Amino acid sequence: MCTGGSPSSNGSQAGDNTESEQQQPSATEQQQQQEQVPRTAVEASTPEQILAEYGENLKILTLNSQVSELLTIIRDKNTTRSDFKFYADRLIRLVIEESLNQLPYTDCDVETPTGAIYEGLKYRSGNCGVSIIRSGEAMEQGLRDCCRSIRIGKILVESDANTHEARVVYARFPDDIGSRQVLLMYPIMSTGNTVLQAVNVLREHGVPEKCIILSNLFCTPIAARTVVNAFPKMKILTSELHPVAPNHFGQKYFDVL
Amino acid sequence: MSSITFLCSKTNNNNNNNNINDVSSTKGKGIAASSVFPTAALLTTTTTLQQQQPQQQQQEQAQQQQQQARLGQLHGNLKKLNATTATAKSNCHSHIDDRSDVTEPLYVDPFVELSSGGGGAGSELNCCPASPTTVPAKSSLESPMRRSGRRQRTTSIGNQTTTANPSECIIRSNNRTIYTAGRPPWYNCAGQQVEPFVIGICGGSASGKTTVAEKIIESLDVPWVTLLSMDCFYKILNEKQHEQAIINEYNFDHPDAFDIDLLIDVLTKLKEGRKVEVPVYNFVTHGRESQTKTMYGANVIIFEGILTFHSPEVLKLLDMKIFVDTDPDIRLARRLKRDISQRGRDLKGVLKQYLNMVKPSYANYIAPTMAHADIIVPRGGENKVAIALIVQHVHTQLQLRGFKLRETLANSYKDQPMPDSLHLLHPTPQIKGLHTFIRCKNTSRDEFIFYSKRLIRLVIEYALSLFPFKTTCVETPQGVLYEGKRMESRKICGVSILRAGETMEQAVCDVCKDIRIGKILIQTNLKTGEPELYYLRLPKDIKDYKVILMDATVATGAAAMMAIRVLLDHDVPEENIILASLLMAEIGVHSIAYAFPKVKIVTSALDPEINSKFYVIPGIGNFGDRYFGTEPSDEY
Repeated sequence: MCTGGSPSSNGSQAGDNTESEQQQPSATEQQQQQEQVPRTAVEASTPEQILAEYGENLKILTLNSQVSELLTIIRDKNTTRSDFKFYADRLIRLVIEESLNQLPYTDCDVETPTGAIYEGLKYRSGNCGVSIIRSGEAMEQGLRDCCRSIRIGKILVESDANTHEARVVYARFPDDIGSRQVLLMYPIMSTGNTVLQAVNVLREHGVPEKCIILSNLFCTPIAARTVVNAFPKMKILTSELHPVAPNHFGQKYFDVL
Repeated sequence: MSSITFLCSKTNNNNNNNNINDVSSTKGKGIAASSVFPTAALLTTTTTLQQQQPQQQQQEQAQQQQQQARLGQLHGNLKKLNATTATAKSNCHSHIDDRSDVTEPLYVDPFVELSSGGGGAGSELNCCPASPTTVPAKSSLESPMRRSGRRQRTTSIGNQTTTANPSECIIRSNNRTIYTAGRPPWYNCAGQQVEPFVIGICGGSASGKTTVAEKIIESLDVPWVTLLSMDCFYKILNEKQHEQAIINEYNFDHPDAFDIDLLIDVLTKLKEGRKVEVPVYNFVTHGRESQTKTMYGANVIIFEGILTFHSPEVLKLLDMKIFVDTDPDIRLARRLKRDISQRGRDLKGVLKQYLNMVKPSYANYIAPTMAHADIIVPRGGENKVAIALIVQHVHTQLQLRGFKLRETLANSYKDQPMPDSLHLLHPTPQIKGLHTFIRCKNTSRDEFIFYSKRLIRLVIEYALSLFPFKTTCVETPQGVLYEGKRMESRKICGVSILRAGETMEQAVCDVCKDIRIGKILIQTNLKTGEPELYYLRLPKDIKDYKVILMDATVATGAAAMMAIRVLLDHDVPEENIILASLLMAEIGVHSIAYAFPKVKIVTSALDPEINSKFYVIPGIGNFGDRYFGTEPSDEY
């Protein structure tokens, strides 16, 4: 017996079809329920709310449609590895460019070939990058593409699979890192523990908190809160605040478990 | 009879010097002036010739290997048969010489044809066009890709213009080599099209229309001339008509043989400056080839054909109407020669067609249209005075249509608010820092390239975000659904304005996988200061694409406007175009936004003014020169 819908459409259809039709609405309902979670999370992250909640040192990449697309492709589980790497590299480049904006600069006027004066600006030299092994290394090329000869240090942080406790097992920096601006690269933050350990190491090497810029792609609100609370003077740059972090990033980028 | 003999002897005279010796003395004595042919006698001659043929054939094939030589021998036969003294008329001599220069692949041994007779058994001659009308056979008017067997071009420039030399913009005529300039603006400062000048050439079959057209093109000495032949618009024949055509009973000279509606459509579009696909008519199958010929970009259109003045609608489109009036005898003579020697047709068939169809059609449909003509050119291409007059008039008309675009652009739109279509990159310290590097005159090229590439990347990334996106939901490996965005259409192509725009291509390729890149070369004419279009390669179906148009700097916007105009002429919707550039002057933005309000303009910096050389101030200098290292040594 037909319980709903227009009689004309149901009349001609076989039993199998009606069954599948009945299943479909329930599937979309499920989808809608699942969607609820991310949607509210995204809505909560307007720039004003972020400023109020995390302070001025957490910055999120201007979310235009193009960036949204990159995020979407990276998160899509059906994306091929080649596409994944391609679009991840694009996003990394954007994040790095934006991170470099946080560096200090001075005004600088130059003469153009037409003889006119251009009021420009100049960045101070003496910056360096530090990547957290392994996924942070994915961002090194993006940094190299922007600053050709920048020095890059590395930190290896191991986290216990059960306790999520992180500890630094390897660190190698330029000698004078204490006098440099440091661009710390780590793409995924789900708890923030790894970054906390890495920043601690940097501080042990004499880098002031305010000279560290954290470049990050995906950040959970929990991690953001943790890091901001621990190091309020550190600048953080990310492309998205979302409760679910794409933890497969390093795996898929390097295609090794 | 005498005419036939004359024709053959003429051919012979060109090609086979030692066979006949009395012909060379016949120059200068006109006999073709007698108007009416003794029809019956002609036909008799033909029949006699055919009967004699089989006996002669073996002997001749043994003697003569070359086809031209055979034709000469034919002449000898004819002479023996008819015992007629041949005389020639000198004033059509040069024409025939011209024609015989052409290496037509269709050349067929006249003997084979003659022996097979006019009885419709010409099936082995299928490759021969049965059209009575002129096919431009002159090499300079043929498309280069056809001549040299190059790939089919996707754009039209150079195919049908006078620049139809394999090496693009070069005309060779009278031992001169002219490097033609690019195409000056064909639109006004509001971006609106200025109509091209359309010349219609009408005249009977083999009256020399093509020669006149060629001479006009040669003397005009302007590029961007399109020659459109009415032959392209023959109707597709059905099977019955096809058979009629084979036995020379289909009337190709009747107005009904042409697809006038299509013709009007094409000509109207051409006159509007739009890109058109012109059908290519196949005279063997009497159908249209699947491949069409793309025509675009003409300041002068020459439209020639036997019935160009027939349709009143077509007449309205013509700015200048020329009628080529050539003596009917000369026309028949040329026609016979052309059809027999170049198209491999037989004498009987050609005459039958001429008498039954070509001649009556001329009297009924072509000759009366002479009344519409502005100029009647007697003697066709010979008439140098007439052609000089025509060329002078066209030049005057073109000058009236042209104007100083760049100057007009440079002096308008002062102190106006910036238009909505301008999308300026957020001026972050990083962008300003990059600008500092590339603007500084002391920056080395290595650094200049590196930093401009970084800046270009940012511009392109930003430009992409302006395309329409749709919301989509994807599954993630973490098991949750993620609501994001995807671009509505993946069909994006880049078009760079050479040379400086080319520097941005790499960034587009880095950002969009497998993107197609079109190119437009626009250079400023140093004398006039106007931009000129030189070269154009665009994806064939560019109208379906979103287009990122790239130019490194935009000063007055004249070049960018020309490029946008080109895209619009290729049916790209205005709203699908994004103009991306590193640096723009405010007036350039105003000009473009005023002319093309739906085109999105993306730039990383906006400078207030331009100097008298149309460089942006403070600007970057000549971006292309600095990037490619071609600065003139004394410039700075």
